[in-house]
Amino acid sequence: MDRDVFLTRVGRASMTTRLPDPPPVSSALPELPETDLLALFRARAQSVNAVVHGPVTRHGAPRAVVAIATGHDAGSFMAWDELPASGVASSLLAAGLERVDHLVPEEGRAEHNLTYLNVDVGVTGAQAALAESGTLVLVHGEGKPRMASLIPEVHIALLDLSLLDRTLAHWAHKDPELVARTTNLVFVTGPSRTGDIEQQLNLGVHGPRHVHIVMIR
Amino acid sequence: MSESVTFLSRAEALIGTREAEAVENGVRSFLALRERVVDEFPIMGAMRSRARAIRLHSLSHLDRLLSHFADQLEAAGGRVHWADDAAEARQIAADILERTGSKRVVKSKSMVSEEIELNHHLEGLGVDVVETDLGEFIAQLAGDTPSHIIAPVMHMTRQDIGRLFAAELGVPYTEDPFELNRIAREHLRAVFLEADAGVSGVNMAVAESGSLILVTNEGNGRLITTAPRVHIALMGMERIVSRWEDAAVVLETLARSATGQRLSVYTNVITGPRREDDPDGPEELHVIVVDNGRSRVLAGETAEILACIRCGACLNACPVFRTAGGHAYGSVYSGPMGAIVTPGLHGMEPWWDLPYASTLCGACEEVCPVGIQIPRMLLELRRQAASEGRLPGWLEKGMSRYAKTSVEPAKWARAKRWASRLGALVSSRGWIRRLPGPGRGWTESRDLPKPARETFNDWWSANRGS
Repeated sequence: MDRDVFLTRVGRASMTTRLPDPPPVSSALPELPETDLLALFRARAQSVNAVVHGPVTRHGAPRAVVAIATGHDAGSFMAWDELPASGVASSLLAAGLERVDHLVPEEGRAEHNLTYLNVDVGVTGAQAALAESGTLVLVHGEGKPRMASLIPEVHIALLDLSLLDRTLAHWAHKDPELVARTTNLVFVTGPSRTGDIEQQLNLGVHGPRHVHIVMIR
Repeated sequence: MSESVTFLSRAEALIGTREAEAVENGVRSFLALRERVVDEFPIMGAMRSRARAIRLHSLSHLDRLLSHFADQLEAAGGRVHWADDAAEARQIAADILERTGSKRVVKSKSMVSEEIELNHHLEGLGVDVVETDLGEFIAQLAGDTPSHIIAPVMHMTRQDIGRLFAAELGVPYTEDPFELNRIAREHLRAVFLEADAGVSGVNMAVAESGSLILVTNEGNGRLITTAPRVHIALMGMERIVSRWEDAAVVLETLARSATGQRLSVYTNVITGPRREDDPDGPEELHVIVVDNGRSRVLAGETAEILACIRCGACLNACPVFRTAGGHAYGSVYSGPMGAIVTPGLHGMEPWWDLPYASTLCGACEEVCPVGIQIPRMLLELRRQAASEGRLPGWLEKGMSRYAKTSVEPAKWARAKRWASRLGALVSSRGWIRRLPGPGRGWTESRDLPKPARETFNDWWSANRGS
């Protein structure tokens, strides 16, 4: 259907519509009582089956990541090019893990994708974290593939403590233009889960089964 | 009532079955989880008011928001298509798949795709369509329809699913949910990675940035919009808000109301196809905006139902849904919300009886994250059905006689005396336990006390002043 015809019809419909009046709301977002953000984040992330580590120093982060990866018997990994701590990828390589390339080629997409079948660990940073829901905010783009937090069984995220915020709504109000600037961002609240079989909790249905959050001081 | 299949006949076939029992159990666990996360969030009430204001504002500016959204998305490299009805939406999707040479399609859960019966159409064209949400995957394997918008196979037991997997996937029988989950994961892994196109729904779109918001728990929604070369999103035209901050407010209420989560596991915000610097993501992004009856609803008395964010809370809260289950509604959208959406989109025939599948207790409106006045609209649709002469003759006649009698004191007093005498005849030991004729169904689950021998008015005339 032609766009103008479609929209004209919608416009005509909204002229005769009898919607109830919207409730009055204040211009400022409602605030929550103050609390210790780190303690809340830790509790809420754990309640959705994520594992919170640290805080560690920036210097100690690579060792923490290697310990988590080897704890899962990982043989391969993919990682964002830039992470809040340096030396993570080289430490994983030194520990004997193989690195899987994350740049999708123009041709042979399916073949490239199939190389992800055996990647065990994905390492990412985080743009922010939301204490109220135990959520990581991942902003994808150059050097930051979406697949790293999606296809491996184990997702390890490095999070700078200073980036803790309270709720999604409050965080979104601080930088409303962010979504227009990025092709893809995702709010990750714990490992992939389903309750589709008799409402029984089941982790790692399509995405990661394990989410580790390494807090950095 | 006509001889055709009605809500009542479908419900009667389901009530008391294992399916209805499974629904009741599932719903109870959702309700308990919801209550916990709503109670711990002291600004839930304020967020709900804001969410309501945001959704109603969007509906009253829908044409402008859609136009802005399309401009922004196209500026980001996406394409927007406009579908008048289900047939056109299917055709647009099929054309995109054909042009891009896409034969293997992976889908995430989308109510609009169910509404337009997309899978059936694409399969007829030789396209291989795989549902990837675990529940939808199970429903597709079983050749069944989803029974709940959030939990599609709430009506199936683990044994049903175990037998289904053994028969359809050639795996040994197991009824262990963890094992069943692992089987589905293994089976679908390569399917995701080798697919040519992904088809998703849209939970919300943002006009100001041209963004799509997709909410999933399993990660399938992210996989199907990341791995394949082409992403096609089906979007009901009402699914839009002005700004990203508005969307964020609505998201604070969505998962809490739907599944009792604070946020769903993955809330994905997508703005256009892969850009030059992006290491991954689809090369093409198409959004199909679907009207399919919605502009008619917008112009009418039930426009407010378009504010619905499809959380499913009203289904869980509804005593009728809980007793009969989603399949009793016979339509894609079930529960209190479905009883308004379905006749709105597809007409009163044959759906006029769905608004009667309610006790008007108001629990739906109470839990609705955007405060939709569901009972008001159910009554409005009942009024329409009555004025179109759809009610059975006995009810029609009975009601009009009641209306005439109840406004004339003398007639009313006489009627009450008669009712008292008749009541005495059909009662035993102080209670009316069974009524004949149309009253039979009503007394199947209720007893009423025997009416007093003397009406209050008679007593008053005899005793006042004494």
